[in-house]
Amino acid sequence: MGVRSLTDMSAMYQETLLAHYRAPKNRREIVDATGSASRKNPLCGDAMRVMVRVVGERVEDAAFVGNGCSIAVASASMMTEVLPGLSREDAIAMAERVEAMLAGAEVTLPDGLAALRGVAPFAARHGCAVMAWRAMREAVMGGARQVQNSHS
Amino acid sequence: MSSLAPRSDFPLLVRNPSLHYLDSAATSQKPKVVLDAVREFYETANANPHRGAYALSAAATDAYHQARVDIAQFLGVRDTDCLIFTRGTTESVNVVASSWGHANVKPGDEIVVTALEHHANFVPWQQLALSTGATLRIVELTELQEIDLDHLRDVVGPRTKVVAITHVSNAVGAITPLDEVVRIVRTHSSAVIFVDGAQGAPHLPVAFDALDIDFYAFSGHKMLGPMGIGGLIGKRALLEAMPPYQFGGDMIEWVQDFDSTWNVLPHKLEAGTPNAADAVGLGAAVRYLAALDMAKVRAHEVALLERTEARLRALPECTVYGPPPSRRSGVISFSLMDVHPHDLATILDQHGVCVRAGHHCAQPLMRRLGVSATARASFYVYSEQKDADALATALVAAQSLFASA
Repeated sequence: MGVRSLTDMSAMYQETLLAHYRAPKNRREIVDATGSASRKNPLCGDAMRVMVRVVGERVEDAAFVGNGCSIAVASASMMTEVLPGLSREDAIAMAERVEAMLAGAEVTLPDGLAALRGVAPFAARHGCAVMAWRAMREAVMGGARQVQNSHS
Repeated sequence: MSSLAPRSDFPLLVRNPSLHYLDSAATSQKPKVVLDAVREFYETANANPHRGAYALSAAATDAYHQARVDIAQFLGVRDTDCLIFTRGTTESVNVVASSWGHANVKPGDEIVVTALEHHANFVPWQQLALSTGATLRIVELTELQEIDLDHLRDVVGPRTKVVAITHVSNAVGAITPLDEVVRIVRTHSSAVIFVDGAQGAPHLPVAFDALDIDFYAFSGHKMLGPMGIGGLIGKRALLEAMPPYQFGGDMIEWVQDFDSTWNVLPHKLEAGTPNAADAVGLGAAVRYLAALDMAKVRAHEVALLERTEARLRALPECTVYGPPPSRRSGVISFSLMDVHPHDLATILDQHGVCVRAGHHCAQPLMRRLGVSATARASFYVYSEQKDADALATALVAAQSLFASA
């Protein structure tokens, strides 16, 4: 049965991730956002909206609103902490590295995202982890389009 | 308590002795007799039914016909030709909504569904209303997520063309009192009654002829049969008046250059080469269920539900949805405060417990519950006390994982 070990599970539900879930960072509106985008997880019906303020080419602020499981919320929370200061291009590259990491590739990630590595063995949960990142990629391009599904 | 059916009859359970499969409402496990029946069909009778003038094709035709006879008998249908094989409940609903619907529903008519429906018995009717200019009316629920019969009485009237209603809710397990629904609908309208039996036929005795409903849809894979086979039962007059749903081989009587005529029932509604092998498998499944006795299947599920529910209700901050076990099929839908159902399903999986987490294809219901998702454990004939115990133990572990900080 592709049952993962209990060790894998503890590695995913580690304290850092649970702390972000219990008290998410930057769960708020950005009134002067330059872009926002939403994603829905069709499996569980959860929805999330990510907002960014990009000045010049630099991400000044990132935030999200919405609900989800611990993986979706923690991933969004961690993302909003590492984005400010990055260029638009670097933000997108970061999103690509997160997806590559989940797919099993060896990639470097900032310490603030290390806890996401625990999700990699759980393919059924990759969709939860990438929801915020996919919305962010659209938001930094100035997107404010309607809700799209985020199939993993 | 032990299982009703011997677990040794189910190869997947034998191979995975530590697995606690509590997702039978999504699909059931299959007994060896069903797998053997499919294999035997291919090994001894494989030819295209209704086609060849040779003995092997006749054997295929006979096996396919016998499956129809056995399934019709199991569901209380005397007129065997009124059982149409489909891919399952979803296709059965679409056949009626599309074929009967477009021939009979006009602007100003009303289509009645309930807030308890699976998307498969909701969206086809919603779309029929949109495409015909009819009005969709939604019957609301009681506080225990049962269909509000008083509201049904208010909603059904002379303009009602069809009432599409579930026999058993897939999301919370609530059993619809069909006798009462039929009485209300027949008293207040001349509407056609369509019953979604996807969660009814596997768990409750069904006597179609005695119910005085017009259509009943079911899925084989939820009742020990193979995936990809199910059926639509209808009253003969309605099925005969319905235009074909699909065109092709087997469903025609005669094809002229610029016109065609249709074969008799059931063939008119079964275009193309039928899924005969899986129909034969489903025939074996209903014989297996009949031998277990559906009354005992029901009693087994209620006993498991009562024990499991007592344990879940003892957990702090656990909400169980739906009516009491006596009015539910073998489904327990619940949520634990602070643990998202998706996280719950992942954690339970690590304990070998398979449950469904999500909206259960019942988003209208989830909106009314005010949640995006619930966790759902569901029992069947091979479930036993150990499965319920493993669920309770894993839930305690999930709570402690999320509580530790």
